[in-house]
Amino acid sequence: MNVRSQVSMVFHLDKCIGCHTCSIACKNIWTDRRGTEYMWWNNVETKPGTGFPTAWEDQEKYNGGWEVEDGKLQLKSTSKAKTVFNIYHNPSMPTMDDYYEPWTYDYQHLFNAPEGPDQPTAKPISMVTGELINIEAGPNWDDDLGGSPIYAENDPNLASLSPEQRAQLSAVERLVLFYFPRICNHCLNPSCVASCPSGALYKRGEDGIVLVDQKRCRGWRMCVAACPYKKMFYNWNTGKSEKCILCFPRLETGQAPACFHSCVGRIRYLGVLLYDADRIEEVASLPKEKLIEGQRSLILDPNDPEVVAAARQSDVHDSVVDAAQRSPVYQFVKTWKIALPPHLEFRTMPMLFYVPPMSPVMSSQENGTISHVSDNLFHDIDESRIPMKFLASLFGAGDESFVRYALRKQKAVRWYRRAMTVGDVDMPTAERMLREADCSPDEAEAIYRLTALCTFDERFVIPPMHREEAIQMMEDPLTHKQDVGFGFMSGPHRGM
Amino acid sequence: MSRLRLSIILPLLLGFLCSVAVAQQTDTFFQQNCTSCHTIGGGRLTGPDLKDATKRKERAWLEKFIQAPKAVIDSGDPYALQLQQESRGIVMPAVPGVTPQMAKALVDLIEAESALPKSRFAGAAISDRPFTPANVALGMEILRGERKLSQGGAACISCHTIGTLRGMGGGRLGPDLTLVWERLGGRKAIGAWLTNPLTPTMQAVYRNHRLQNEEIFPLLAVFDEAARTSLPADSGAQVNFFLAGFAGLCGALGLMGWIWRGRFTNVRRNLVRKSRGVE
Repeated sequence: MNVRSQVSMVFHLDKCIGCHTCSIACKNIWTDRRGTEYMWWNNVETKPGTGFPTAWEDQEKYNGGWEVEDGKLQLKSTSKAKTVFNIYHNPSMPTMDDYYEPWTYDYQHLFNAPEGPDQPTAKPISMVTGELINIEAGPNWDDDLGGSPIYAENDPNLASLSPEQRAQLSAVERLVLFYFPRICNHCLNPSCVASCPSGALYKRGEDGIVLVDQKRCRGWRMCVAACPYKKMFYNWNTGKSEKCILCFPRLETGQAPACFHSCVGRIRYLGVLLYDADRIEEVASLPKEKLIEGQRSLILDPNDPEVVAAARQSDVHDSVVDAAQRSPVYQFVKTWKIALPPHLEFRTMPMLFYVPPMSPVMSSQENGTISHVSDNLFHDIDESRIPMKFLASLFGAGDESFVRYALRKQKAVRWYRRAMTVGDVDMPTAERMLREADCSPDEAEAIYRLTALCTFDERFVIPPMHREEAIQMMEDPLTHKQDVGFGFMSGPHRGM
Repeated sequence: MSRLRLSIILPLLLGFLCSVAVAQQTDTFFQQNCTSCHTIGGGRLTGPDLKDATKRKERAWLEKFIQAPKAVIDSGDPYALQLQQESRGIVMPAVPGVTPQMAKALVDLIEAESALPKSRFAGAAISDRPFTPANVALGMEILRGERKLSQGGAACISCHTIGTLRGMGGGRLGPDLTLVWERLGGRKAIGAWLTNPLTPTMQAVYRNHRLQNEEIFPLLAVFDEAARTSLPADSGAQVNFFLAGFAGLCGALGLMGWIWRGRFTNVRRNLVRKSRGVE
């Protein structure tokens, strides 16, 4: 057992209100530089919808992630030989149009416009060409089902749905949508790292954050094609690739990442998971239907004395193990099993998990009146307006049972709390529902508390990062002592 | 390594050696740089026979001309212009390494050699035999590079074209060789040139890969044949070359398009197009 720690995340989709505050917080801190105009390390998508870049989930087109061939894991987009042939032109590269042409507005015109009969306007200007443009797309162009005949209709997750289910989703007056915020998943088996010809990408051993070494990156962009979540971005100004860094400078000083900190709906949870690094390849090569159980088995119980001993053996600091024992992510993913990884079938083993969202009951329209399949406040999960198949395609690697389990448990908890606080449903029924949902009253209480009443410190259990230990593995801190004292990794430049 | 060391040590040593060595150095210089166009007592090649040059013109003028021929011609010097006219308009190239001392030594050498009954620089021994069709055929093989040069030099076709070449002709770095026979002045002159080509490009290529007499003779036969039979390589060859290049480019692009036929094409724009009913 090779125990490592990973700072992992849970996004509770039932709480997301789609306000994009996370995206803006991230943009303001990290990607307001030249060359990063089009980058959204954090973005919020509307589902059903095609997202950013358009239809990124369609790996037939984008070629991201891994596939198993003859029992061996292989990158879909590249291989050692293909890297040589495609090094100057990667055939799986998204085009600018699939992201969007970044733009700003001619604000000066508001002040400089000559006097005329109309109010002056600030026209959009392309940040690529500097010319006036007609905006055709943006990073959340399909927000709230905008342009749904083009975008929502073509959500790759709809592929498995029957025509009736599709019609149900998009019928006017009965539209349904939910939000899907995304950042880098800081995967256990990152395809971006595997694809890099320069060896510039790496996963930090001490916290599992995937980073690009800006000094080593040569801008080959194999990672852009290889990442199935399209969370690798190429900076045209520096000629290097960039990605979400999980705000490691904030984490190292004990603060939550900016998108987590700013989250209005408080949907985001962050905590340490301990995992067994020796079994990653084995698990990533499992057949599709065994992937979710496989990934769960990689995550180790931090309260198991054997695991704690092995962690100590693998140089995981005791304080990190302590943080892992308090991790909200462990609760959601392993204990309650209500948080699921997105598109695990890409086989990168994402370490960002989503609690699937509840949705209203199905309804039908006859003679101008809308009738619901069920009048029950908490209807049966399988009568939800978002088809189980759709959610399974997103979070269950195609298997509905995991999503159904998660939603059932959520519903049972609500029913239970309703019986406790309002009392218009009876307790015996609630308790029966809990049993059916594989949930005890204590567990229901815990889920309720961490979902609804959670404090800042309960949502973000940030481990001490122990950078000093990580650095000491690679270089002797005393090497630089005589240069300029502590505090500078390289000396300050003098003069102009 | 040893050659490098020699090339450093030898000039240093020579500097200290007696006048015999200096004279030898001048000999070598003359052999390497002048015999392509000049003889001493062997008749004119591209340039005039230098025998008794010191009697035809004063030494100071000769030294000045050797150092900067173009400058003297450009200054409108009547004798220099006359020389240029006799050489069918060819301007003597400025030879690198001609210092005032070297120019003086060269004039000394010319004077001394002129006094001898038979100079060492009377010209290369190019056979006077008439050219046969077999010579021409062999010459074309050499020119086209089908027969390798014995000292490993590059084939003529890499840089030159000639009217008798079919298809796309030869290279365009060097001049068209069709009328070289007349331009340089026949068998003896071209023979001397090929023995020791002097332009910066050819000198660099052939300095260590000298053409042999039995290779020069068939080449001369080719030049003679070309001058008599064909017009200069026409623009048809250039058009052919362009067309072939264009066809090759299209072919290469087509092949690449086929190899990478599974490449990513725009997703969003296609969705928009499809939704508007444009298939």
